[in-house]
Amino acid sequence: MINENDPSTLSTSGRLLAYNDAIKSGLETGEKFTKLMDQLVQTTDPELLLQAADALSVYSLNSDYVTFPHQYSFADFYLIFVSRMWELHGEGDAITLESSEYQEQLNQQITVLDDSGTFNFSNTGSDDSGVYYQERASGQSLFYLNLQKKMLRFNSHAFTQLFIIQYADKVEKSDILKAVQVFINLGNYLKKDFGFSVDFNMLDTDNSEVYEFQNEHLSESIVDKLFVSAAHEGYMLENSATGTGAMLHLKDDLVVQVYNKGSQSDPDWVLSVHDKLQQVSWFKLLIDYDFLKAWYLNDLAELEIKSDPLVFA
Amino acid sequence: MDNQGQVTENNANQSDVQLNGEISQKIEYLTTLQTAIADKHDLKAYELLDTTRFGKLIKKTRTSTRPTGLEKLVDDLHPELSHYLSHHLIDYLGKTYPFFYYDEYKLGEFQIYFGNWWNRRQFGTLDVLNIAFKFDEDEFDKLKTGFELETENKRYNSSRIEEISASNTDLQKLIDDQTNRDQRKEQLRAQLKENGQKSTLPWDSGKVKDERQVIIDQLSTLADEDEAALDANNTIKENDEQILALSKEDTIINYEMQSIKKTFEDFSRFNQRNQSLYTDYLNSLVGEARVNADD
Repeated sequence: MINENDPSTLSTSGRLLAYNDAIKSGLETGEKFTKLMDQLVQTTDPELLLQAADALSVYSLNSDYVTFPHQYSFADFYLIFVSRMWELHGEGDAITLESSEYQEQLNQQITVLDDSGTFNFSNTGSDDSGVYYQERASGQSLFYLNLQKKMLRFNSHAFTQLFIIQYADKVEKSDILKAVQVFINLGNYLKKDFGFSVDFNMLDTDNSEVYEFQNEHLSESIVDKLFVSAAHEGYMLENSATGTGAMLHLKDDLVVQVYNKGSQSDPDWVLSVHDKLQQVSWFKLLIDYDFLKAWYLNDLAELEIKSDPLVFA
Repeated sequence: MDNQGQVTENNANQSDVQLNGEISQKIEYLTTLQTAIADKHDLKAYELLDTTRFGKLIKKTRTSTRPTGLEKLVDDLHPELSHYLSHHLIDYLGKTYPFFYYDEYKLGEFQIYFGNWWNRRQFGTLDVLNIAFKFDEDEFDKLKTGFELETENKRYNSSRIEEISASNTDLQKLIDDQTNRDQRKEQLRAQLKENGQKSTLPWDSGKVKDERQVIIDQLSTLADEDEAALDANNTIKENDEQILALSKEDTIINYEMQSIKKTFEDFSRFNQRNQSLYTDYLNSLVGEARVNADD
C-alpha cells in the first residue's frame, strides 16, 4: 500500500521528489524572506515598512531541510524598523545603526549622546509579542513596542534613571532634551502613520495629561518639602483653586499642580503641567528646574510617575 | 375713695401709654433695621446694632448716646445679620487686607486664613457685627516674634533648626565612624588577650589588673557608641522630619511678614489699622453714601 504522506511507504523516486519539494519550500521561505528584507531596508512607504517589520518579527527562516547559518534576530528587525521610521521622517541623522563585523547583530546610538549609550531591542521573554528598547550597559528599558498590537509605552523609570540621573553629569541639558525628543518624535510618527496607541508617560506635553504617582496616597510631608524648597528658590507653592492640592507658578503660563483627584478617604494624588503652548512635560521640568529634580529624586519611591503596569511590572 | 380709684386708673392709662410707646419704639427699631437691610444701607444697620459705639466713634457726638437696649431684639438673628453684613465687609477687607481669606464655616461665622500658600494658617476669626479681627493668640504671637527676630536676621525657628542640624551632623559622624570603632575594638580585644597572658607575679598583679580595667572601660564606651549609632539612623530621620516642620513654619511666617510689609510697610502700622478697623470701615461707608448721594 502506498501512502503519500508516509515517506516509508514511498518508492525511491517518490522519496526524492518529496525531498526536493521540502527543499523548494525551504528556499521559497528564504526567498520570501529576502523580499521582506528588501522591503524593510529600502521601501519609502511607511505602510510597507511596517508590514515588512511585522512579518519579519515573527518569521521562521529555517525549515527542516533548509537552514540559514547567518541570521539576524527578531530584535534586530525592530531596530531596523525604528531606524527607518526616523529616516523616512527626515531624522536619519539623529541616530546611528551599527552592525557588528563578526556576527549578525545590530546596535543603535543616539547621535547627540555620542558614546554615552548603546541601544537595542530585547525580547520580553514571554509569549508577549512585544519587545523592549534597552540601553545595553544599564539594562534600562526606555520603551515597549508591539507591532501586532500597535502599542508604544514609554517607561518613566528608565527615563529617570538614565536621562535625569545617569547622564546628568555627562551630557549637556540641551542635548538630553534633544535625545529625548528623538524618542518623542518616534512616538508621534507611529501614532500619526499607523494609529499606534502611545503612552508618552512623563514625556507627555499635553496639558490634559495627568501623571500618576507610584504612591497615590502621597504623604503630605512630601508636598511640604516642595513648599519649603520652592520658597528657597523664590517660588510660592499655593493652594489649588479647587480641591486639595498645591499649585506652583514657575513663570507666565507655566503651572505645575500636585493634587488629590480622589477623595479624602480614598486619595489619588497626581501631578499635572500646564503651559500655553503645550510644549512642556514633567520630564522637561525635571531637566530645567534643579529644585524640582531634587524634590523628585529625594522621594522617588513615592513620586515616580507610574508606567503602564501591564508591560512594566 | 373715688379719687383713689381715679389715680389708679390714671396710672393704668399712663402705663398703657408707656407700653404703647415702648412697643412703637421696638417696631420702629425693627422697621428701620428692615429698611436699612432692604436698601442695603449697611451703615445704618451698624448704627442700629450698636448705637453707643456708633455715636461715639462715627457720629462723634459729645454726649454719649444712651443705651436703648433695643439691640437685644435681634440677638437671636446675629448669625443671619452677620452673614448679610459680611458681603460688603469682606469686599472692603479684600482691598485693605488682600492677604486674608475667609471661610464661613457656619452661618455668619468666619474663619480667617492668612494667605493662599500651601499650609497657610488659620489665623483666627472675623467678628462681622463688631467689625473686628479676633486673631488666634498663638499664631499672632508667632508672627510678632517673627518680626522681632527679623531685626536680628533670624527666623522664628532658626536656632532650633541649627540645634537639630548640629545633632544630625554628630549622629552622622557616629555612623560614619563605625569602621574606626570596629578596628579599635579588635585592637583592644587583642590587648585584653595579651593582658590575660601576662605574668601573674604578685608584684605585677595590681598593674596588670589596672591595665585590664582600662581596656574593658574603653571597650564598653565603644559598645555604647555602637548602640547609639544603631539608633542614629532613626533619630536622623525623626530630626529631618522636625526640621521640615520647622522650616515649613518659618516659610509660612516669612510669607505672612512679606504680605504685611507689602500692604502696611511694618507690623506696628498693621496693628494700628486693626485697632481702627471699625471706624475705618464705617467711615468708608459714610464716604460711599456721600458719593452715591452726589450721583
